Amino acid sequence: MSDDIKVDKSLDLKGLACPMPVVKVSKGIKEVEIGQVIAAVTTDPGSLTDFPAWAKTSGNEILKSEQDGNEITFYIQRKS
Amino acid sequence: MDQKTRNELLKLFKSKLNEAMRLYLETCTRCGVCTEACHVYASTGQVKHIAAYRSEIIRRLYKKYFKIRGKLWPSLSESKELTDVALEELFEAAYSCTGCRRCMVYCPFGIDTQMLMSIAKLLLIGANTEPEILTLLADTSVEKGKSIDLFKEGFLQGIKNLEKEVVKKWKAEAGDSVIPVDVMGADILYVALAGAHSIIPAAAIFNAAGENWTLSFFEAVNFGAFVGDPTKTKLILDRIINEALRLKVKEVCICECGTAFRVMKQLSGKQPFKVSSITEVHARYFKEGRIKIDPGKFNTAITYHDPCQLARNAGVMDEPRYILSQMTKDFRDMTPDPTYNWCCGGGGGLVALGDETIDFRMKSARVKADQVKKTEARILATACENCHSQLSDLNDHYKMNVEVKFLSSMIADALVSE
Repeated sequence: MSDDIKVDKSLDLKGLACPMPVVKVSKGIKEVEIGQVIAAVTTDPGSLTDFPAWAKTSGNEILKSEQDGNEITFYIQRKS
Repeated sequence: MDQKTRNELLKLFKSKLNEAMRLYLETCTRCGVCTEACHVYASTGQVKHIAAYRSEIIRRLYKKYFKIRGKLWPSLSESKELTDVALEELFEAAYSCTGCRRCMVYCPFGIDTQMLMSIAKLLLIGANTEPEILTLLADTSVEKGKSIDLFKEGFLQGIKNLEKEVVKKWKAEAGDSVIPVDVMGADILYVALAGAHSIIPAAAIFNAAGENWTLSFFEAVNFGAFVGDPTKTKLILDRIINEALRLKVKEVCICECGTAFRVMKQLSGKQPFKVSSITEVHARYFKEGRIKIDPGKFNTAITYHDPCQLARNAGVMDEPRYILSQMTKDFRDMTPDPTYNWCCGGGGGLVALGDETIDFRMKSARVKADQVKKTEARILATACENCHSQLSDLNDHYKMNVEVKFLSSMIADALVSE
């Protein structure tokens, strides 16, 4: 977990089948206030292209992403 | 609904009225043969889930706005006005139909209910009442096509991290690229899903077969097709077509995703490459002796669920059975046969809607669970992500006592060098 970002909600999306990581992150972001941040952990390599494209489409912002072995953590700020 | 909105929706309706659609709209004799064909009706007994009933919701609107008799004498011709209530009925009809086309093989006129439901889905999009998440997923796929250069580096690193898992299943020679990406002139462009489970076994099998392959930057699934948006369906499809043309590949191989394969096979038009499902490619490797497996790896009874979009709607029926005949002496086919096989109940975007549809998906697929239980098999193999998710949920709900497995994972786990 990143030390420099305050996380308001965490989502464990590891090992989920297609398209659940994007479905769950879409729902999860609506459960925090605008300006708050969720941390979503996935094991899908495709999320490295899916999540940035989803963020652009949904009007949210990926503040940072980290890869640790097969786990990828996205820090996403709700913008709208 | 105001007149302006109605007129816009009727324009969309008209855009779907090709010759085949008019035939389907005008030929139903209400013979009732389709009644028992729908897994939803067979499982729940609710009349609204009979295929002819679903289609009649569309048909009555058609009569009202596109037939003289319906315009002049609406009550005599059973025509119906397009209203907000009608939109709610269209939603229920379209999103309780998985598009499995089992009713179509029973219908003496071959009426395609899925095609009729595509009118309903398009009207729902026009009225902004389609499931929001499906449109978001489709938009995400379209966006990825536009901006792939921004995301490539991260994707390549993510893929690199999977290589160790691939090598565990099949050794790599020094200098080999374990998961090749962006290979110009590759024989096969493999289009996977986002998950590692869609990439690792496939990579191991390609490498074991000595294939000259490359992994696509894009995911195979087409959410434009699920939500019924022809424009987005084409944009999502074009990303893969353009990648295949740029790399000059000979064959595009679609992963275990039924809708992705059907869309690619049937809507990509005439192209200089062949389109295959991964199941067809694996059957070919077995026939050509390019891969070998330990036939004793799965020493138990195995059955196979035919994904509707792969089997009934795209003809891939013999190949999975051939593969399983190499893997077990105790293959137990379901009854009825693949053409009339029951849908798992998860298609048409229902699995992608997740928890919202779980109750309906479980209730509407009771006949599928019964069909699986009758085989008394302990492994239920399939070749579609959607089906795998739904069958896993059914397994928990109905205590089917099976292990649900992807066919490609089974092959990868059983690979041997000699």
